Amino acid sequence: MPFLNVIRWVAWKDLISEVRSRETISSMFFFALIVILVFSFSFSMDQAAARELIAGIIWVAFAFTGIIGLGKSFSAELQNDCLEHLQISPASKGAIYLGKLAANLLFMLIVEVILFPMFVIFFNLDVVEELPLLLLIFALATLGLSTVGTLFSAMTVQIRAREVMLPILLLPLAVPVMIAAVEATRGALHGDPLSLYGNWLQLLAVFDIVFTVLSFWAFEWILDS
Amino acid sequence: MMSALIKWMQRYEGWVGAGGGLCILAGLYLGLVASPPDYYQGEVVRIMYVHVPLVQTAMLAYSTLFVGSLWYLWKRDPIVDNLCHAAAGISAFLTALGLITGSIWAKPTWNTWWTWDARLVSFAVMFLILAGYLMLRTFIDDPEREARYAAVFAIVGFVDLPIVHFSVEWWRTLHQPLSFSMRGVSMSKDMLIPLGVMTVGFSLTFFYMVMIRTQMLYLDHLLAAKKGRLLSQVHLSSDVGSSSSSLSTP
Repeated sequence: MPFLNVIRWVAWKDLISEVRSRETISSMFFFALIVILVFSFSFSMDQAAARELIAGIIWVAFAFTGIIGLGKSFSAELQNDCLEHLQISPASKGAIYLGKLAANLLFMLIVEVILFPMFVIFFNLDVVEELPLLLLIFALATLGLSTVGTLFSAMTVQIRAREVMLPILLLPLAVPVMIAAVEATRGALHGDPLSLYGNWLQLLAVFDIVFTVLSFWAFEWILDS
Repeated sequence: MMSALIKWMQRYEGWVGAGGGLCILAGLYLGLVASPPDYYQGEVVRIMYVHVPLVQTAMLAYSTLFVGSLWYLWKRDPIVDNLCHAAAGISAFLTALGLITGSIWAKPTWNTWWTWDARLVSFAVMFLILAGYLMLRTFIDDPEREARYAAVFAIVGFVDLPIVHFSVEWWRTLHQPLSFSMRGVSMSKDMLIPLGVMTVGFSLTFFYMVMIRTQMLYLDHLLAAKKGRLLSQVHLSSDVGSSSSSLSTP
């Protein structure tokens, strides 16, 4: 099968099974909703404090939600030995990786787009002009989380204690993504000029490129029976 | 069958260990007795002769792990994986010691145990990555898969570290300029020589520890393999029944 077709079919397969079961997105969504509620109870913010803290809260919620989605991405393959079929399939492993990455990225972005209005409502944010820029930040940072996350999801699904190991392996590596995402989101929500925080977008883009290439190469060693 | 690498280690481990020990003894004398106290920091500066070599050796250890992991993925030699495992454990240990001695040094000089400085954060992240590496290894049963996954994780983590360092440096410098920086502090020869001697000593000791630990892990795997073979022989012979006589005779 040609390379691009493999990517398309793997992503398509994940989408179809998600549309039929609605497991991943709904569990991610409700988990994130609970995270938002817990944060709003535990900080009891006024509007000024919310303005300072909200970027961090958004990204903690997104990262933890993302980990749930990433973990489910490959644990779903354990049923009916689907993982072994992926391992022995003659298709390029890198294409399988990119297909999985595309599906994970899409799920996380869908949840983020549903969740963000909740933040706007609960924390009284004013975001109308900055919306396209915020979406760009979300896309870049979510791609960063899911490049390494997809690789580690495939790794941890094949070992013991997989639910514990995915965050333990992923979060230290995601430190640059979290810093850059929080700083850029804060800048955008404050309405700062882009020149003040544009370098964080560049950092996110560099991280995305480096780790997409690296994970694409390394996936060969992970999905190998 | 014994690998050339193990043989080479057995031949040179004594020399490397002795060299490391001598350098550390000489460095301790030079650093603690012969060198002058610092103009600003006084006697406190002497922890530098332990802290800086520890940190540099920890980075040397992770670099060894990185090169070893690439080498393993290329050649798939189990002994190289033992080497990686050994280097990772020692690197995690050295990183923890580096963080602790750094904290002790920071209290009198910066008046704080911890600050969100780029080096401190990237070192803490490096410790977390190494701890994750060692945990990952304990959760995989199949030795070949354990080696493969661990190598991939070590490589991905190594590539991440400069980006972490860079991002934290940006993060802090955008908010406030670093109020304390070791950059630009030029060192007198009286301090540079003991520091160099200690660094060489720690590096040699690290290589000595890696050599010993690699051999231990190698023997461990050999033992596991022999046990497995013995067990399968017993199973085989009990299945066949009559051919068990060759095993029962001493």
